[in-house]
Amino acid sequence: MPSVRVAESRSVRVQCVGLYCIKIQFYECLHMSAPAHLLSRTGVHLDVWQADALAGAPGRVVATGDALLDAQLPGGGWPLGALSEILQPPGVHSEWRLLLPALQRSGTGAVVLVGAPHLPFGPALGAQGLLPQRLLWVAAPAGGQGGAQRLWATEQALRCADVDAVLAWLAPVRPEQLRRLQMAAAEYAKLLFVLRPEQAQNESSPAALRLWAAPSGDASDTLEVRAFKRRGPPMEQPLHLTARPARLACLLAASQTRSGDALDRTAARA
Amino acid sequence: MHWIALQPGPEAPGTTASDAPGTEAALVDAPSAWAWWALQFTPLVARVEAALVLEVSASERLFGGRTALLDQLLKPNWPLALVEYAQGATSLVAYGRLQCADHAADGAAAIAPDALPLHTLVAARAHLPTLARLGLSNWGQLRALPRGGLVRRFGAGLVDALDCAYGQRPELYPWLTLPEVFDVPLELLSSVETASALLFGARRLLAQLQLWLRARQRGVLALELLWELDARRSNALHVDAHHTGGGQGRLVLRTAQATQDMQHLARLLAEQLAQVTLPAPVLHLRLRSVQTQPLAGESVSLLPEDVRHGDSLHQLLERLSARLGAEQVRCTTLLADHRPERMQRWQAAVQTSAAIDSGANRADATRARGLDLGFCQNGLDDSRPAALYPSWVLATPLRLTVHQGRPQYEGPLTLLAGPQRLESGWLDGAAHCALRDYYVARSTTAGLVWVYCERLGAHGATGQGPACWYLHGLFA
Repeated sequence: MPSVRVAESRSVRVQCVGLYCIKIQFYECLHMSAPAHLLSRTGVHLDVWQADALAGAPGRVVATGDALLDAQLPGGGWPLGALSEILQPPGVHSEWRLLLPALQRSGTGAVVLVGAPHLPFGPALGAQGLLPQRLLWVAAPAGGQGGAQRLWATEQALRCADVDAVLAWLAPVRPEQLRRLQMAAAEYAKLLFVLRPEQAQNESSPAALRLWAAPSGDASDTLEVRAFKRRGPPMEQPLHLTARPARLACLLAASQTRSGDALDRTAARA
Repeated sequence: MHWIALQPGPEAPGTTASDAPGTEAALVDAPSAWAWWALQFTPLVARVEAALVLEVSASERLFGGRTALLDQLLKPNWPLALVEYAQGATSLVAYGRLQCADHAADGAAAIAPDALPLHTLVAARAHLPTLARLGLSNWGQLRALPRGGLVRRFGAGLVDALDCAYGQRPELYPWLTLPEVFDVPLELLSSVETASALLFGARRLLAQLQLWLRARQRGVLALELLWELDARRSNALHVDAHHTGGGQGRLVLRTAQATQDMQHLARLLAEQLAQVTLPAPVLHLRLRSVQTQPLAGESVSLLPEDVRHGDSLHQLLERLSARLGAEQVRCTTLLADHRPERMQRWQAAVQTSAAIDSGANRADATRARGLDLGFCQNGLDDSRPAALYPSWVLATPLRLTVHQGRPQYEGPLTLLAGPQRLESGWLDGAAHCALRDYYVARSTTAGLVWVYCERLGAHGATGQGPACWYLHGLFA
């Protein structure tokens, strides 16, 4: 049985992760004789990873379009056929910034939005590379019966051959319901993103990847991303990604150089 | 001439009330289904009492000989299973042998026509006691009697039937044809109180429909399910149902692509029936095809990786729309307009599903429709003005409160860029006229937002009073 190195400087949590890996390895060795293509170079099953390194994803991934973020995700991108959870503070939206490059690359099939908070703006998404005709907008009220409808619609979308990615806004959802979605995503090899409020970070979740994203509070205008759960060591430092598409960032920068209070004067005059 | 007579076996699904093994529903009308099946082998198919007779001499060669044809005809083929058959030079001989096969299964096929018992001749049934008293028991003895006497005693029908049976007269039947429109009624075994329970009967009708579609090589686009209410037993809640003559209910089912897939139709039907309330119990069901179209075969790939795994998009759209409502499942079309709320139109996806095809086709179609407004080119091109638009847009702009001259949305807004002046829609009348200045603003908690200020003079304002600010989009 290969040994698991645990860096000494890491916290107790890392050791727990390490023990978890040992347990997985133990069961893998006992019960499974993995086929050769599922073994990494060290002869360990690909589902098992060293506690201080990112797992190599056994499935395919779709690059996020952001080298910084790719470096922090196992396999170097969003996992295909696994549930990725994105947690956001209420009222804050960063989902298109995070997901749009991957959706653009995912193929030509439909992108299903289940329970989206607003209407996507086709021209803007089209200009950033996602054909608006790919979007399919499914509305179902949140909570109660509507929550079940959203789960049902999400699962149906995952089962469709012409769908490439599913984005689902699920507010109150139980882990077993998420597990069902995870199974469907794995069976049909789809990109599945579940967007939840940040209060859900303390609930357990079968997601392969859990990220928290919000604009950073300071004036630097960056997007702060933390990984709560990934196949690898915990992320110690949050990532700071550029928060805007390049053109918009240019516009904002150009507007900054103009007299800062001109706009405020405009507003006051109006 | 060579005739084959068929009849459902004693355990054929259509003759017993029990469901067929497995998940498939039993047929509603097994003899008709058999006739539709047999029509692909020969156009000369007729019904004699409960059996079918087929004349196959003309098509034997096409199917590779008599044995091969018989094999194909009797090929184990759900739900047409378990039949008895007999052959003969004429239909009456074949049918007579078939009836003998009921009683003596072994060697029935080899019975000579002369040795067939008289009760197997339909025309002789009415005279059986008289013929028995004459000491006649089989066809040969009857045929040996003088014709004139037979005609005078029993009528011309018996002699004509004998002539037909021995091939001395042509056999003419009202030949069965495949109906142009599928329209099959079903009497339910017991009255059904809830709409979802109608699904059981509907499944049997769908199984029959599938056979009809296969025989016609067509796919169904629209069909309707009708039911007749039992007016005598209407609920107290819906007393007026039969007073107003509402003794019938119907449900029209449409699908975007012609299909023979009854699973999909049954699922759609289940969703639709779940929303139906029956005012009275139902005794009769009827399924009718409204629109069909020829179904081309689907080419499949030999390579395993090309095999698509899952439902098709139109099935998904129809299923989602059936349960959630058509307006809840939408896709978008881009329009040429300067007003953001009119740059795209979100409409029910089932109605526009023709536009939703595979991705490549969609891009082509968009270009072909002249909607290429600069955002539909391939690849990322930041030089387009649309790149500055927000990715979420509010369906109706949200009026913002203004505090000390600054618009508020989850805290005071700081205007970062703008104004982008918009003046459009004056042709559409005052209500649609847009005179706006758009700004990119930062909210302390909600990030970047897209707000606009109604310019003075819009909606006939006099220019006095505070400006109205609206939230129209969110940068995400």
